[in-house]
Amino acid sequence: MSARWEDLLMTRLRETSVWRSIVRHGAAGTNRNRSLIVFENLFLHVHPVKVRERSLRFTHTFWLGGVTVVSMLVLVATGVLLMFYYHPSVPQAYRDMKELAFVVDNGVFLRNLHRWSAHLMVFAAMLHMLRVFFHGAYRPPRQFNWVIGVFLLLITLLLSYTGYLLPWDQLAFWGVSVGTNMAKEAPVVGEKIRFLLLGGNVVSENALLRFYVLHCVVLPVALVLFVSVHIWRVRKDGGVQGPREDAPPEVNP
Amino acid sequence: MPDDPEKISPAEGDAPPNRRDVLTRLGVGACAVAAAGSGAVTLDFLNPKVLFEPATKFRAGSPADFPEGTVRFDHERKAYVVGAAGGVFAMSAVCTHLGCITRYVSDENAIACPCHGSRFDLEGNVTHGPAPRPLPWLEVTLDADGNLVVDTSVVIPRGKLFRA
Amino acid sequence: MSTLKVVESRDPLVVPRRVALVRPDTRPTVRRREERYVMTFPHLIIREVILFQVVLIALSLVSLFFDAPLEGLANPLETPNPAKAPWYFLGLQELLHYFPPVVAGVLLPGLVVIALVVIPYARVNLDARPLWDGAGRRKAGIVAGSILALLALVSAFRCGPVVVPTLLPGVAMLAARGAPEGSPRARLARVTLPEWIMTWFVVVAGLLTIIGTFFRGPGWSWVWPWLPGSVF
Repeated sequence: MSARWEDLLMTRLRETSVWRSIVRHGAAGTNRNRSLIVFENLFLHVHPVKVRERSLRFTHTFWLGGVTVVSMLVLVATGVLLMFYYHPSVPQAYRDMKELAFVVDNGVFLRNLHRWSAHLMVFAAMLHMLRVFFHGAYRPPRQFNWVIGVFLLLITLLLSYTGYLLPWDQLAFWGVSVGTNMAKEAPVVGEKIRFLLLGGNVVSENALLRFYVLHCVVLPVALVLFVSVHIWRVRKDGGVQGPREDAPPEVNP
Repeated sequence: MPDDPEKISPAEGDAPPNRRDVLTRLGVGACAVAAAGSGAVTLDFLNPKVLFEPATKFRAGSPADFPEGTVRFDHERKAYVVGAAGGVFAMSAVCTHLGCITRYVSDENAIACPCHGSRFDLEGNVTHGPAPRPLPWLEVTLDADGNLVVDTSVVIPRGKLFRA
Repeated sequence: MSTLKVVESRDPLVVPRRVALVRPDTRPTVRRREERYVMTFPHLIIREVILFQVVLIALSLVSLFFDAPLEGLANPLETPNPAKAPWYFLGLQELLHYFPPVVAGVLLPGLVVIALVVIPYARVNLDARPLWDGAGRRKAGIVAGSILALLALVSAFRCGPVVVPTLLPGVAMLAARGAPEGSPRARLARVTLPEWIMTWFVVVAGLLTIIGTFFRGPGWSWVWPWLPGSVF
C-alpha cells in the first residue's frame, strides 16, 4: 500500500459496510473491476464494457453528440435554477428578467449560461446530424436510431423556440408571433394548431403559460426519454460508427 | 494515451511523488474547487435579495389614541396594539400553537384562536388551550411625527410598556 | 488431480472475454476484422469527463463576457422592424420572402423532415457507390436535367439566394464526371448521390440563414451588415 493519505482514506472507505452496500466492486486496478464499474452503474451502462480503440479518435465522432448531451445537462441544471425566480405571467415574467439581471446574485450569469447553452445545443445537434450523415452512420443496423435523432432535433428546436418566448420582451414576443404565423399557413389544420399552441388567437398570457409548461415539463421529459433510447441504441447497434473507411462491408459478397 | 493508463495502482512504498501523481492531485483539486464554487454560486443564487412581503414596521397612530383598555387589531400586520395602564404595548396576533391568526373577542375581553380553541388574556398570557407560549410582545417606538411605530420583527421582553 | 491456475492479465482482449456464436447470414457489424479494444473505464469515461469540463468552461467564459439579449417589455401594438424569428428559423423566414407561405412555411420544411426520416430506409446507394461509378450518358443527362429543372423553378420565384448555391454544387457535381484517376477532381468523383443532395441542402440552408440573420434590415430589405445603421 502506498503511504499517500488519500489512498489510505479510500482503502478505509472501501472497507466500510456503507460503501460496500452502494458500490459492490473493488478499486479499478483490475479489468474485472473496471468492467463492474461500467455495468453495475445505471448511468455508465449505456456504454459497453469495452470500446473499440478507433472510436475514441477525435475524427471518429468529433464528440459532437457528447457536446450536445453536455449542453443539455447544463440546460437542465441552469433551467431548474431559473425556474425558482420565474413567474409565467404578464408582465411579471419580464420583471423577473430584470430582477435576475439586477437583483439576484449570479442571475445574469445563469441566464446567460442557459441562453448560450441552448444555442450551442441546437448547433451541436445539427452538426452531429451532418457528421452522422457524411460518415454513413445512418445505414443498417442504425436506421431507426437516425429517425430517433431526427425527432430529437425537432424536440430540441421546439424547446429552444418555446424558451424564446419566456422572457416576454419585444424580441420574444415578435419572434414567436412571426414563427406561429408560419404555422397558420398549414392547410386545414394550421389555424387549429396555432390556436391550441397559443391558447388563443394572439400571443398572450395564455400562450406564455402554455409555452412555459411545454418548455419546463412536456418537452424536457420527451427529450430525456428519447435521448436515453438514442444513446442506449448506439450501444445496441454496435457502438459509434465512424468514417466510412472504417465501416464494415454492408452487403454480403 | 501518452502514459500507460493500465497502471492505476499507486506507487509502492514511500516513493517520491512523480509527475503523474502531482497532476492527478492538481486535477482532482481543481475539480473540487470548481464543484465547491458551483455550489456556492447556486446557494448564493437561491438566496433572494429583495422580498415582496409586507413591511415589518408600521405606524399605529398617536399614543393618545390608546387609552387604557383599548385593543386595536391590525389585520394586515397580524398584530394587536393595546393601551394599558401607564403605557402602550404591541403584541403578535399569530397563535403560538400552529400559526393561525387569533382575534379579539370584545364581549369576553379576551383573545381567542379559531383553529384549536386557545385563549389568551389581553396581555397575551395563555388562559386556555393547546398554545404552549404566551403571545410575544413587539417593539414599539415613536417616530419624529409623534406616531407609534410597531416593528413585528423585533420581540421584546413581556411587560415592557411603551411610555410616551 | 490437477489444480486450476489463475492467470492475472491486464489485456482487455483477454479479460473479460465474450464468446459469440455467429451464423453466416447475421448482420454485418459482427463480421469485422479483429481490432484493438480498450476498457471503457477509464479510457472512454475520462474523455467524457474532459469533454464535459471543456464545454462547461467554454460556456462559462462566454456567459461571463456576453450577456443574453433582453429588449423592452413586450408590446403587442408596436412591431419592431425587422421582426425576426430565432436564428435557426431565419432560413425559413428568408424563404417566405420568395415563396408563397404555404410553400415556404409548410411544404418545404415538411418535405425536409420527411426526407430526413426516410434517408436510412430509401435503400438507394446502400453500398456507398459514387455517383459516377460506371455511369453512362443517360445518368448524366438525368442529373443535368434535374439541376436545370430545379434552377428554372427557383428562378421562376426570383429566389436568388437559392439559385447560386444550387448552381455551385450542380456544376461541381457534373464536373466530377469522368475525372481521371489522381486528378483533383477525382475526390469529387467518389461522392455519392445522397452526399451531393445533402451538401446542396446544407449550402442552401446555411446561406439562407446567414442572409436572414445578417443581411436583412427594416421591411426585410437588403442591408450590408458592416454599414452603419444596420441591425448588427
